[in-house]
Amino acid sequence: MQIPQDLIETATLKLKSVQSEAEFFQLRAKYLGKKSFVVEAFSKLKDLQADKKVIVAKELNVLKNKLTILFETSFEDIESISNIEKIDVTLPADPFLVGSEHPISKISQKVINYFAPLNYQIFSGNEIETDFYNFEALNFPENHPARQMHDTFYLNSSSKSEYLLRTHTSNTQVHAMLSEDLPLYMLSPGRVFRCDSDTTHLPMFTQIEGLVVDENVTFGDLKGLLIDFIEDFFNEKMQVRFRPSYFPFTEPSAEVDIKFGKKGWLEILGCGMVHPNVLNGCNIDTNKFRGFAFGMGIERLAMLYYGVTDIREFYSSNLDFLNQFLS
Amino acid sequence: MKIQYAYLKNFLNTKLSQKKLSDLFTQVGFECDIDRDLIEFDITPNRGDMLSLRGLEREFHAYQVTKPIRKLKTFSLNPFQDKKVIDQIDGSGCGNYHLMLVKGLHKIKNLDAKKRSFIESAGIPLINPLVDLGNYVMLELGAPMHVFDLAKLSLPINVKFPKEKNTSVTVIGGDVKNIQSSSLTIQDQHGIQAIAGIIGSEASSVSSNTSNIAIEAAFFRPEIIVNQARKYGLATDASHRFERGVDPEIQQLALERYLFLLSQIAEYESVKLYFSQSRKTKKKNVKLDVTRFNKFSGLTLNSSKAITILKNLGFNMIASSKSALTFNIPSHRFDISLEEDLYEELLRSYGYDNIPAFEPKPGPIIKNRQDSILDKLKLGFVYSGFKELMHMPFVSIESFQQLNSKGWTAAELKNPINDNESLLRGSLFRSLFAAVNSNVKKGYTSIKVFEAGNVFKKEKSGFTQLLNLSGIIYHHEPQQTWSQKKLEYNFFSLKAEVYKLFQTLGMQNIAFKKVSSSMPFSENALEIFIGKVKVAVIGEIDLSVTEKLIKKQAFGFEIYPEKISLIFTDPKIKKTSKFPLSTRDINIVIDKSVSYEEIEILLNTEKIKFLNTYSLVNTFEGQDIPKGSVSMTFRFVFQSNAKSLLEADIKDSMQIIWNLLEKRLNAKIRS
Repeated sequence: MQIPQDLIETATLKLKSVQSEAEFFQLRAKYLGKKSFVVEAFSKLKDLQADKKVIVAKELNVLKNKLTILFETSFEDIESISNIEKIDVTLPADPFLVGSEHPISKISQKVINYFAPLNYQIFSGNEIETDFYNFEALNFPENHPARQMHDTFYLNSSSKSEYLLRTHTSNTQVHAMLSEDLPLYMLSPGRVFRCDSDTTHLPMFTQIEGLVVDENVTFGDLKGLLIDFIEDFFNEKMQVRFRPSYFPFTEPSAEVDIKFGKKGWLEILGCGMVHPNVLNGCNIDTNKFRGFAFGMGIERLAMLYYGVTDIREFYSSNLDFLNQFLS
Repeated sequence: MKIQYAYLKNFLNTKLSQKKLSDLFTQVGFECDIDRDLIEFDITPNRGDMLSLRGLEREFHAYQVTKPIRKLKTFSLNPFQDKKVIDQIDGSGCGNYHLMLVKGLHKIKNLDAKKRSFIESAGIPLINPLVDLGNYVMLELGAPMHVFDLAKLSLPINVKFPKEKNTSVTVIGGDVKNIQSSSLTIQDQHGIQAIAGIIGSEASSVSSNTSNIAIEAAFFRPEIIVNQARKYGLATDASHRFERGVDPEIQQLALERYLFLLSQIAEYESVKLYFSQSRKTKKKNVKLDVTRFNKFSGLTLNSSKAITILKNLGFNMIASSKSALTFNIPSHRFDISLEEDLYEELLRSYGYDNIPAFEPKPGPIIKNRQDSILDKLKLGFVYSGFKELMHMPFVSIESFQQLNSKGWTAAELKNPINDNESLLRGSLFRSLFAAVNSNVKKGYTSIKVFEAGNVFKKEKSGFTQLLNLSGIIYHHEPQQTWSQKKLEYNFFSLKAEVYKLFQTLGMQNIAFKKVSSSMPFSENALEIFIGKVKVAVIGEIDLSVTEKLIKKQAFGFEIYPEKISLIFTDPKIKKTSKFPLSTRDINIVIDKSVSYEEIEILLNTEKIKFLNTYSLVNTFEGQDIPKGSVSMTFRFVFQSNAKSLLEADIKDSMQIIWNLLEKRLNAKIRS
């Protein structure tokens, strides 16, 4: 008598495609029922010679046990299949709230995501700062009219130093130039403060400034970097214009405009080569190192990017407004 | 500075349209806006020399045409030095002082309509023809002038800082100003007749009856004028120019121009010009190394091109050597003193848009870069349904006191935008309360919001800034959903929310500690520690500190991300067991005065063989349970690393647990 070698394998395979109890019992009958190979084989045992009979009977028993266990264990799966209640899967999901980051966080991150692979380190810095780091070290002499460009909040303090709310994140750059090794490639994101408030200005806004101090950096490097950044940010080829401007901490200084649809030229960045007075003040050898710096207002970028028309919306906690931003 | 386009176009002798002219100036660094028939120039503070038609003309010619700037018509005068007219000038504040005396004025007419309209559209009111003419020459040449009524002056003039304290002067317009000792003044024999470079006195001002005048043109040093006007609450066209620097060589020319224009509107009998000079302002020379410039800019400019560009801008080369060219700086350019300043001039002229743009270069590789724990926490909350908010950090004294303990001294602004926003926040919760309030008013019933930001504290010396991540959960469903599931939220949802996030982020040794008072939480609050460091507080919001902004139950958390980043370490992974888990339940009845924490401490500190984990799976009070007691069901999970556990192994361990609970905590074992 020939015992088929693949009986278990084929039974396992067929069990996998069983969809109902009826199918299951049909299959079990085929392998373990009266007319199954196993049962019929047992009945044919008597025809065999005594010595062969013992061997075959042993093999048949093993096979029968294996098949019985196989069908027993599979029956649990079949039961769970047949017990599934049919539901209307198109009903709404369980209630939930959708979270999202603030648009200013998202745009800040978008800017950082461009510079991080270029190995720019992130420094957050102090929002309350001394006059030295916010102005003096950045080549704003005391009483200089350039200070009037920054409407500054001052703080009551019992210290000799004059404390203020930083008017730009450049203070962080001074700290970094004084403490970090060169070459320095850094970004300083954060909140800055100016004491004016109207429909287009807020007393607090968000800036990201960048600084590079290295050997052999040029104005051309600065230009190339910023054009590439702008095109990456808006994900399209942009018309970009550089025009001369004035910041005490850079010389030469430039403002960067982009051509934005019907709005025409819009200013989105300030930049320049770091003023030698600033580098010297941070004990940097200007014969060896040069620097460039740039800065941008995140609210302005976010307004352009999302088409927001009122800057105050960002700080209004209005969920109708915030629900429109996806994470 | 606002200038009439028609007037400017005529002055510059150009045919360029208003738009083209604006664009041209914008492109070389003087941002322009068109406002009806005016061009508004946004002149940066370093370029005081651009605050006049002559200034604009110089720049325009440098970029547009090469022929020399045309001369304005003047009446030439010989200046005299006479102590009886100008006695002494303080050289530390005044470089030169010119006074032109015009006597016997009569038949004075108004300036012609074009000039008057030009002055008015520049934002300067018309006052009196003699004064208007001074303002006109200031707009034309950039030299502020002051016209005194000579009959009201008692010569000679002294230019000096006041010695007497508390001198007060009634200035033009009628305001009385207490003159500070740091203010340079123009004094005659009666006293102060003007605050130098800012405003004149009412007493010596001209009127319609004036027939003899003294016109002042002077060079007051920017560093002594700066901020002076603000001290008196004044901002005049003269102070604006003197602060930024007025050409020290233009005073005589300005007076000669005044005289010429005066002759067109009035007749006079005599004129004489007096002056006094303290010390001549030194000629400035600046060196330029063209090779260094090319390395700086990325350009390849040759020397002759550089010389031509600078010559057009009025910088004459006075020496040249192999390494450098030396240029003389015109007296009106206060912004040029370093080689880099010349670079800017070269680049401006060459055109910023013509500078090459190079491929971005990366910085050196950053080693041991750490992910920001704040960013991870923020994302965690976003994924569990929170909206991130941002707010201004200014709060009122009342709000501050509600949310900060007495030991927390507020950082206070000297110049707040209004009195209700005079302090910097010591907690993020005030804005979050207001955010919940405004959205609940709008009809929202389920709100989860957080904010990350700094809070501030005044110290004995200086200030500290602490990063907080605070949030609020407000859940009040008005009706059930179809699936009968509600967005129910209670203290333990909050505990799970924060605990789950902390564990997901890999924090270890997290411990909770009950806290009785921690603003803005009620006594249902917990502090969370990692090791010995407090990293967060969570709890139910005490509605009495919300200034009625929140009226129904709410929960909140305050996390200190800076504390977490310092102690975060990656775990060492242990070998896992390949043997099965066995679970056993135990039900006890225990006095309610025993807190769950006490049971936890007991079970955690005793060594129980094979115990893997345990959890509280049920609590029950009421029927069959004595008053003041609670029934608790615990589930214990056992596992061995070495074998499949036998019933006897588990029984031993369960016996230890029984004994502990019974003997130490007086619990009654029910099953």
